[in-house]
Amino acid sequence: MLLSLSWLRDFTPYEGSVDDLAHRLTMVGLEVEEIVRPFDHLSDLVAGRVVERKAHPGADKLSLCTVDIGGSENLDIVCGAPNVAAGQYVAVALDGTTLPGGQVIGNTQIRGVLSQGMICSEAELELGPDSSGIMVLSGTPAPGSRLDHALGLERNVLDIGVTPNRPDCLSVFGLAREVAAIFNLPLNKPVFSLQEDTSRDCPAELEIVIDDPDGCPLYQARLISGCTIKPSPDWMRYRLLSVGVRPINNIVDTTNYVMFELGHPLHAFDYSLLKGSRIRVARATPGSRFTTLDNEERKLNEGDLLIWDDQKPVALAGVMGGANTEISEHSTDVLLECAVFDSLSIRRTARRLGLHSESSFRFERGVDQAGAPFALNRAAQLMSEYGPGQVAKGVAFSEPKPHVPVSINFRRSRANSLLALDVDLDYCRQIFSSLGCEVDGEDDLLRVTAPSFRPDLTREVDLFEEIGRIYGLDRTPEHLPKVQKSLHQEEVDRKHAFEDSIKQWARGLGLQEVINYSFTGMSDLDLLNIPAQGRVRVFNPLSEDQDVLRLHLIPGILQTLRNNLGQGNSRLRLFEVARSFEQDSGSETGVRENTRLALLLHGPRHRGHWPFAEEDTDFYDLKGLAEHLLERFAKFPGKFVMFDNHPYLEPCVMCSLLDYKLGFLGRVRPQMARAYKARKEVWFADLDLDQLQNIHSDILPVFQSLPKYPVVKRDMNVIAPLELKYALIREVVDQAGISILEDVSLVDIYYPQDKPEKKLTLRFTYRHQERTLQDHEVDQVQQELAELLTQKLPVGFP
Amino acid sequence: MNSVLEINSSLKSLVHEFETRMDQASSLRDLEEARVAFLGRKGKLAKIMSAIPGLDSSERPLAGKTANQVKTELTRLLEDKKNELERLAAFRLDPRFDPSLPGRIPDMGSIHPVTRVIQDICSIFTGLGFDIVTGPEVETDFYNFEALNLPPGHPARDMQDTLYITESLVLRTHTSPMQIRTMEKRTPPVAAIAPGKVYRRDSDLTHTPMFHQIEGFLVDEQVSMADLRGTLTAFAQRIFDPGVKVRFRPSFFPFTEPSAEVDISCVMCEGRGRHRDDISCRVCKETGWVEVLGCGMIDPEVFLQVGYDPEKYTGFAFGLGVERVAMLKYGINDLRMFFENDLKFLNQFA
Ligand SMILES: [Zn+2]
Repeated sequence: MLLSLSWLRDFTPYEGSVDDLAHRLTMVGLEVEEIVRPFDHLSDLVAGRVVERKAHPGADKLSLCTVDIGGSENLDIVCGAPNVAAGQYVAVALDGTTLPGGQVIGNTQIRGVLSQGMICSEAELELGPDSSGIMVLSGTPAPGSRLDHALGLERNVLDIGVTPNRPDCLSVFGLAREVAAIFNLPLNKPVFSLQEDTSRDCPAELEIVIDDPDGCPLYQARLISGCTIKPSPDWMRYRLLSVGVRPINNIVDTTNYVMFELGHPLHAFDYSLLKGSRIRVARATPGSRFTTLDNEERKLNEGDLLIWDDQKPVALAGVMGGANTEISEHSTDVLLECAVFDSLSIRRTARRLGLHSESSFRFERGVDQAGAPFALNRAAQLMSEYGPGQVAKGVAFSEPKPHVPVSINFRRSRANSLLALDVDLDYCRQIFSSLGCEVDGEDDLLRVTAPSFRPDLTREVDLFEEIGRIYGLDRTPEHLPKVQKSLHQEEVDRKHAFEDSIKQWARGLGLQEVINYSFTGMSDLDLLNIPAQGRVRVFNPLSEDQDVLRLHLIPGILQTLRNNLGQGNSRLRLFEVARSFEQDSGSETGVRENTRLALLLHGPRHRGHWPFAEEDTDFYDLKGLAEHLLERFAKFPGKFVMFDNHPYLEPCVMCSLLDYKLGFLGRVRPQMARAYKARKEVWFADLDLDQLQNIHSDILPVFQSLPKYPVVKRDMNVIAPLELKYALIREVVDQAGISILEDVSLVDIYYPQDKPEKKLTLRFTYRHQERTLQDHEVDQVQQELAELLTQKLPVGFP
Repeated sequence: MNSVLEINSSLKSLVHEFETRMDQASSLRDLEEARVAFLGRKGKLAKIMSAIPGLDSSERPLAGKTANQVKTELTRLLEDKKNELERLAAFRLDPRFDPSLPGRIPDMGSIHPVTRVIQDICSIFTGLGFDIVTGPEVETDFYNFEALNLPPGHPARDMQDTLYITESLVLRTHTSPMQIRTMEKRTPPVAAIAPGKVYRRDSDLTHTPMFHQIEGFLVDEQVSMADLRGTLTAFAQRIFDPGVKVRFRPSFFPFTEPSAEVDISCVMCEGRGRHRDDISCRVCKETGWVEVLGCGMIDPEVFLQVGYDPEKYTGFAFGLGVERVAMLKYGINDLRMFFENDLKFLNQFA
């Protein structure tokens, strides 16, 4: 809402500074977002007086003017306007001035004569539509004075962010009420007297019929006849311009002016185009079409409220009038509508049609039903004056649902305890009265009746807010609460703490956290072969690349990979903790959210400098991270087995723990990686953190006595075919049931160049819990193990 | 050489001889050789001592005692020299050793600045006794709007452009649903914070369609506006700077009454609106204030939704934007950087 300071002063005598006003409004909840200087673009123009007008020596249609701009010498200005004459006061753009349209005025030769500037038309200054001639100023402004001052243009307009609960502040008068309450100033309603023309009787000529009382609790209309459509007076046009409204003509401008002044949207019909003697308010026929003022044909449904004459719809109620009854230059008789429409209904229609107007904006938030007659009369009076027209006697109206005032009990003690204040009853009474409430009662209890322009005041707590707001929330005391807690915790949510410990773990391992959008594009999921089943689509995405939620974390982190490769960062060790989303009718919301950990490795294994060797990361770097994760959080080693036909990983290894599937790790298929600009191997893992947290939370360390007897270590070299997986050897050893075998580890693998085989060096650690092992015992066990291996597997020994 | 005198004198000269040897020794190997030659099984000391049994029984104890003293003395000399040599060795370096070469630095991990700020904020509030709670990001219309006093068609729904999954399912537009979800499960006193991702249908220089919020709320008997102000003022001063000024502007949220927006004095220009060089401050648009969070006393309608008695209980709630705090705290000037994850950005938060 744009508030002109001079307009405000029509209603309350605020004499302070604009900055202080802005601050105080902000501090009562009317945030001043900006102080606008609406005519700043005219600040270089000056008023001048045409001293003499001569014909241009070289062109018939041009004049050569001598213009006094208050300087020691008059200027010579060439002017092409037919209406320029000596003695006029005019708007002058001097050398170097930029006009609102962007044109820069300079001293130029025009047909051989130097012109030292330009005399401007209204249109050139964007102050009105008239471009037929120069703008002639009224009065006798001092030559050389600033044009904006000479015209009395508004210098300060406050741009106020009005919250949706305060429709009353969408008007100058409403804001004046707040200003009066803040500064304890009087509030003066617009004063006018409306002369009625008794020769015509509006209610006798016109009947109002409301088919939908819920949609339209009040409809009223006045008839103004004999108007001449022309520009509205300067002051009205300049005020409208100062609040960003384009002036159109005296009738339409008046409806806009009163809407800004009092907050009530109005509509003017060309009365001669209305058929019959009845105005009806009724829902639209589904599927019917209606052409609005902007010449757009709108398709309607049964929820849309229309204004009808005897034959046809003439306005989309509260949203926009119809082209068929629009005020035109030929109009003389005007039917002026001032109605109240249901906010939900207006909102639905405006939203569906994407038709948001100043009018619908106010109806959606709620207009002042009790104040509607005043707004109607105010507009009628302005039309009678500037139409100029005759206002027919009486108001045609129907009010099937009059406004019912709300009375609220207000306990001062409760207000004081909620706000931590100690205000007395008189103070409260005074605040409520200044805000337009009726107040009754005494002692601790007041009975407060909210005015009809304050739909937000319905409960006691709403009144507490008013006390706090006007007193100043910033002035209320401060105190640190003592948080009361019970040791009988009902439910402890450890999810955040677990995610945090995962992040600390990853950071400690030198991984870098990234955060990507939860959404991605369907085409990204398709590219990665991710199944269509289970995808969660965004119904109204901002763009195609954000139209589905991540089913796997990979699309986001590949996006990060691409960004970084584009920035020349090729060594990436990334992790992300985020949720995947999958349709699941068993979940509370129908979408299953699963917190997962993504790991991505790309480029050199080590920092690219001595003393590290230059090698790229491989599978074992990735697997090592996964194993480290399990060792840290699960205390069990995981199982890693080949997985075929994974959508985007090849090779792909499935990681599981006990009986739980934790996720996959592997290399992103090269053709997919290339789509994200990666030419090297991209190693990626996606692991289920919810599952890991479940396992983790079940683990309680159980102390075991430290061993008393020493270990004996033995190495064994095993020759195996290349394709024999290490896990099979481990399986044989683990299942051999050797009680003294404490640990087995792989210490080396050697691939001879000349044979298709590998040599594995296994290190066995033996320990007896109750005595020191003898060498020969261990030798025997080693021997037995070797025999077992040869029996079960195609292995040999050197 | 069988008299005790002779033995004593040869023992004495052995000490001198060993001292000379020690002086000449320049390596651990020299020492080892000296040890073998003097103290070894077939060394000089052993040879002298082998004569002791041939002495008169009255002379044997004295000779034995002297021999043991000499053995102790030699051992001491050897140890001293060994220590000295080792000390020297530590300084006499391999010429290839170059301390200015780079070391094997392990990789520097980093936590995303958003996570850092969430951790900072959470630790402040957990220190005050607040629990951390989590909930779904795909939320029902009921929890995201209706239960928070935002019925369908409420104009305040326009305040948040919503991304919908279905007609009744949204990507949560704020973390406020966690107020409802938590209160449904617990009885007062309740004090919790809920960090997490939120979503809006908005994308420009100052908005990303996903960002992070932290919701906080406290419900108990006798909670007042003063508790809210005290808590948030202390919080702002902890998270930004002890000297930061805080102001409460009345505002509107459907789920709090009264509602306020909290501004802090601009951390970039110290609330002056202009920098020291008189350049106008773009962060606060010359106002000297920047908005950091929204808050208020929990609306009685919300209590009715979760079955709390609004006459008995009162409470406060607040919600703040994490990226906004991170931008102010770290001086980050472009919101979009948070989700581009450029290493040159991430490295700054290692
Ligand atoms: Zn600043």
